[in-house]
Amino acid sequence: MELQILVPEIRSAPLEEVVSQFAAPQAPLPPFSDLIVDFCAELSQAIFRDREASLYAELASLAFWMRRAELARLRTDFGKAARPDIVAMPRGLVFHIPPGNVDTIFIYSWLLAALTGNRNMIRMSSRRSPQSDILLRLWRDSLSQAAPEIAQSTVVLSYGHSDEVTRALSLACDVRVIWGGDHTVTAIRTAPLSPHARELTFTDRASLAVIHAGRYSELDEAGRSKLADLFFNDAYWFDQMACSSPRLVVWVGSADTVAQAAAVFWDALRAWTQMKGFESPAAVHMRKLVFSCQAIIDLPVANYRRDPEATVLQLDALASQPHEHSGGGLFFTARIDSLKELVPVLRRHHQTLTHFGFDGPELRDLAARFGGRAVDRIVPVGQALQFNRFWDGYDLLHEFCRFTYCESQTGPLSPSDAASRVRT
Amino acid sequence: MTVTELLRAPQFSLPQPEKERVLVDQLAVLTEHHRRNCGEYDRLMRVLYPGSAPITRLGDVPYLPVGLFKSHVLRSVPEADVFKILQSSGTTGQQPSRIVLDRETAQRQTLALSRIMTHLLGPRRLPMLLIESPSLIKDRHRINARAAGLLGMMNFGRDHAYALDDQMQLDPEEVRGFLARFGHEPFLMFGFTFVTWKYFLLRLVGQNVDLSNGILIHSGGWKKLQEEAVSPAELRRRFCSETRLSRIYNFYGMVEQVGSVYLEGEDGYLYPPNFADVIVRHPITFEELPHGNVGILQVLSVLPTSYPGHSLLTEDLGVIHSVDSLACGRHGKAFSVIGRLPRAELRGCSDVITTSGVE
Repeated sequence: MELQILVPEIRSAPLEEVVSQFAAPQAPLPPFSDLIVDFCAELSQAIFRDREASLYAELASLAFWMRRAELARLRTDFGKAARPDIVAMPRGLVFHIPPGNVDTIFIYSWLLAALTGNRNMIRMSSRRSPQSDILLRLWRDSLSQAAPEIAQSTVVLSYGHSDEVTRALSLACDVRVIWGGDHTVTAIRTAPLSPHARELTFTDRASLAVIHAGRYSELDEAGRSKLADLFFNDAYWFDQMACSSPRLVVWVGSADTVAQAAAVFWDALRAWTQMKGFESPAAVHMRKLVFSCQAIIDLPVANYRRDPEATVLQLDALASQPHEHSGGGLFFTARIDSLKELVPVLRRHHQTLTHFGFDGPELRDLAARFGGRAVDRIVPVGQALQFNRFWDGYDLLHEFCRFTYCESQTGPLSPSDAASRVRT
Repeated sequence: MTVTELLRAPQFSLPQPEKERVLVDQLAVLTEHHRRNCGEYDRLMRVLYPGSAPITRLGDVPYLPVGLFKSHVLRSVPEADVFKILQSSGTTGQQPSRIVLDRETAQRQTLALSRIMTHLLGPRRLPMLLIESPSLIKDRHRINARAAGLLGMMNFGRDHAYALDDQMQLDPEEVRGFLARFGHEPFLMFGFTFVTWKYFLLRLVGQNVDLSNGILIHSGGWKKLQEEAVSPAELRRRFCSETRLSRIYNFYGMVEQVGSVYLEGEDGYLYPPNFADVIVRHPITFEELPHGNVGILQVLSVLPTSYPGHSLLTEDLGVIHSVDSLACGRHGKAFSVIGRLPRAELRGCSDVITTSGVE
């Protein structure tokens, strides 16, 4: 079985070769070694400098996220949890299965595993976007000049849908990371892991925004435009198909206040969307229409408003959203009197709650009320897509480490005591 | 004019203004009928078209997207009256459409199709060469949409013969035998467009087969032919040069509106029958477009009473060329189907994305 290798260089290689090279134990780098931090910072620079990459906002955002200052901050942050009796080491070999078509996830997934010193195998889909191809090219360029410890610690491969390869790589790895939804996770899980290995899964998720109508109404025009800008980034960057992009907008306030605030909000969003020149292909508009009809039949939809920029389905009562979504700018909206009304409606699959107009204590109180049952991220509007070491309820840096507990001997049998005894 | 009169009158005989007057009345009545008898439809109308303005033009008739029938079974008759549920073949990985028929609608569909076909073929059944493999309809318990289409068309012929064998290979003996018996008088041929091109015409090249007395009716989408870069004109040209066949008629239709078939005229354009019509809408705003513009086809038909499918927004692109031009003796709109809406590659965290239904 031949695999198509995309990184560190384009070639094909037999499966056995890749497995034997990567499964063999190697002297690992410790977490946040200078070697890996320098390499990531250089890759970030390469993305910033590249003309083609500069055409895509999500690539700029990725480069910004892995710039040197941010990596240093992440290292300091990681160091804060250090204890004298714990030695943090990488887990070993991480097998990443990124989603078919969010173009940058595979780098984020790799980055956190690589920073903690792991070796990485990444399976890329054969249908790749221009964004992914740019990243792969820059990655190859950077790796060609990197230290051998770095250059040999990562392989990106593409092999279509071969169970044989997935099984071999799954058995070889210490951690398997599956992005890409419930179907993918279930399918990949038929390939067993080595008994000691562990798995991180990123399943189908849905996200929402919560806005305080009263505080929104206090915004001046500049503030409303700014919020439209931030919300636009959250919702439209990945055609509203990223799991952290909002699909439901919940308004908190009295009926009158909400009616007024919502009208202003959607107008501002439409205007911003037009200004950004965002357009979906015709098939997406058709999908939105079909999805709207399905929702009207199945959910308590009281009102439908369709514009090319956004379709808004107003719910009579806050109801659980469907798992599927049309994408392309279709929003459910509902009104509640207070934040805690969200608690019974949100489910395990709810991931990101973006908010405007609430303070820290209100939000922490809400998080505690969810009781671990729903919602992994509560962030201000505009940060829905901002990747973070804390994702889907995991602390990824932590997950990619193996912690050796190391207690030294104290008291009469401690080495210093023993040494003194010998001398007497 | 009643529905029965629309069906009984010679097809393609109504000038557009008169036809629209009749259709607007009939379709408004149907809209009310479905609102009264299909709860889901009534709910859709209340939310999608609040304040329901009166229907005075064809463009006013509310429409549903055809994709809705893939996730929801919509019914305007009591469950006891359901006679059959039609399923579209659907491409792999896609949910098929499910269409509820009662006896009345099914009979009306059969009558409608026969009115259109007899307009073309005359009242007598002609000997019929099926450009298909006999295995397609061998197992009558497992009938897909392609087989159902074939069975429907077989009613318009007699002395059926199959041009292809069980492996979809040309059966030259069978074809020669059929032509020896019937080739000197008018005969009918039917097949799916792609099959007709690839497994029939391309295999006949250089075989010196004379189909000059034949009438070929074909249907089933141009997508596969477009991939091979074959245009409708090319199909006609090649048939004419290779087999001297000149009477070739494509038709456009769908399982969601069986019986409402849009048949090609001699000028190569499609024409709606008396009881159906098309509108072209902008692919993004869904506003009605002036003739001559390419947009999404909306199909209207007075046939469906058992399910709310009298006005459907398809996922096909088309263009209306002229109205009542009488270029080939037919009244009404002359239009072409350009193809399917191009599929949009979805982005997203989940790589298994469906639009199937809201659970």
